[in-house]
Amino acid sequence: MSDRLYKIQLPVYLTALFIILSVVEHFFPMPGVVTNFNVTMRSFVTVVSAAAFMLGIIFLTISHAKTITEQKSGWYYNLFYIAALLITIAFGLMGVRNESFLFIYDNMTAPIGAALYSLTAFYITSAAFRVFRARNWNAAILLVCGFIVLTMLIPIGAILLPPVVPIGEWLRSFPSSAGFRGMIMGTSLGVMGLAVRVLTGRQKDHLGIREERMGGE
Amino acid sequence: MSITDRLLKLDQRIIYALMFIALAFPILNPVVLPMAIQGYSQDAFDFSDSIPEGSIVIFEGGLGAATYPQGGPGMVVQIYHMLTKGVKCVFFSIGTEQNFWTMTAIETALKKLPAGTPAVNGVDWVHLGYIAGGEAGVGSLVNDIRATIEADYFDTPIDDIPLLEGINDATGFDAVLWWGGSEGSMPYGIRQISVPFGIPITGMCTTNEVPNFSPYISAGQLQGLFGGVRGSAEYEFLLKLPGPALGQAMATNFGGLLWMAMVLLGNILYFVQRMKGES
Repeated sequence: MSDRLYKIQLPVYLTALFIILSVVEHFFPMPGVVTNFNVTMRSFVTVVSAAAFMLGIIFLTISHAKTITEQKSGWYYNLFYIAALLITIAFGLMGVRNESFLFIYDNMTAPIGAALYSLTAFYITSAAFRVFRARNWNAAILLVCGFIVLTMLIPIGAILLPPVVPIGEWLRSFPSSAGFRGMIMGTSLGVMGLAVRVLTGRQKDHLGIREERMGGE
Repeated sequence: MSITDRLLKLDQRIIYALMFIALAFPILNPVVLPMAIQGYSQDAFDFSDSIPEGSIVIFEGGLGAATYPQGGPGMVVQIYHMLTKGVKCVFFSIGTEQNFWTMTAIETALKKLPAGTPAVNGVDWVHLGYIAGGEAGVGSLVNDIRATIEADYFDTPIDDIPLLEGINDATGFDAVLWWGGSEGSMPYGIRQISVPFGIPITGMCTTNEVPNFSPYISAGQLQGLFGGVRGSAEYEFLLKLPGPALGQAMATNFGGLLWMAMVLLGNILYFVQRMKGES
């Protein structure tokens, strides 16, 4: 058996087989054996995702450990990562409903997550003050539309300036919807095209093979 | 350096401090300002309110640590609304973290229920837990529940759950409530449940995602939408169940007004500078 068969052809055939099995289940009634096989395959997705997550943790830990051992600038911050990881894993292994684990989650993970999301308010305001300017007609139109939609979105906006509601709703329902609808259609067509390319073995990036596009290819 | 120039180069820490005051003040000193209800929220509320007693809804909880502060209060109100109407809820999540937060929302809603409201786990509601596989997982769940999962969040076997007796696919549900947060997963519910099974859907997403889903509303595929913390506040207001979202919506007022003032100031200063020929 050649190396090419193992490394390229077999994975391409397997990918095509799994795509066909997943797709046909959506369009035609399939025997139980096919449905059960697809359910197992979907469980594999979870296992692979979990494995990728583990791999990420391992590499991130190695990177932090390296910074600590080499005493690079700010190495003590990396200690926080290692300590947080070990403590959380230790409590997590006792059970995800363990009180100490829940305490960490409720009082650290949740507020940090919310705080990170909230920081955008600060950055956006600072950035908007500096760059959101009517430098030309295009920017002026964007600025006016942005103002109308934001006024409509803040709870008191419609009370202060009632005309912004119909204009804002129109902007959201027509130009914005049309743009997003085009984007959704474009993305969907792109995904279908990519699926067909993977199915037919013309796209092998998922196997780590990046081929040079030649001519019409 | 002119005053205009100095103001245009305002230290960003001053802007951060102003924003902090604008957001913290209404939370620390609750000020209730008048609020208009958005069309999408009113539609979502009217749809939820029209679900008849005895119906069974499938409920995706997609809020995480970052998005729960915006959508959590609204999700709690939606659960409260459904259970007090006598509508039974089947919950699930397509994220591991979200699965946990869905349980938090259920527990919070259960604590708020008026005494005597039927809310027995397994009878009036059930949390199926984490469903793996993203959109494919949703498709699998609504086509064959028992082939997709064996037990619920509390490890109770599916066959031992009275609420799911005789239900094995989406034909057993009357509505879809998709609290997707920032998952971007609302189309999963539309593509996998609402359109194939003809079940109406509504839900919630973060404010920035509202434009992504507005095409589905104008196409009639989505009955309405609660957007961000304002959506949650509007639900609290419409159901006359004031909660944390109303306070946060007031902070949004002040934050939004400050943002607009800063942009306006930036543009005025920019034009003054241009007229002086400094830019």
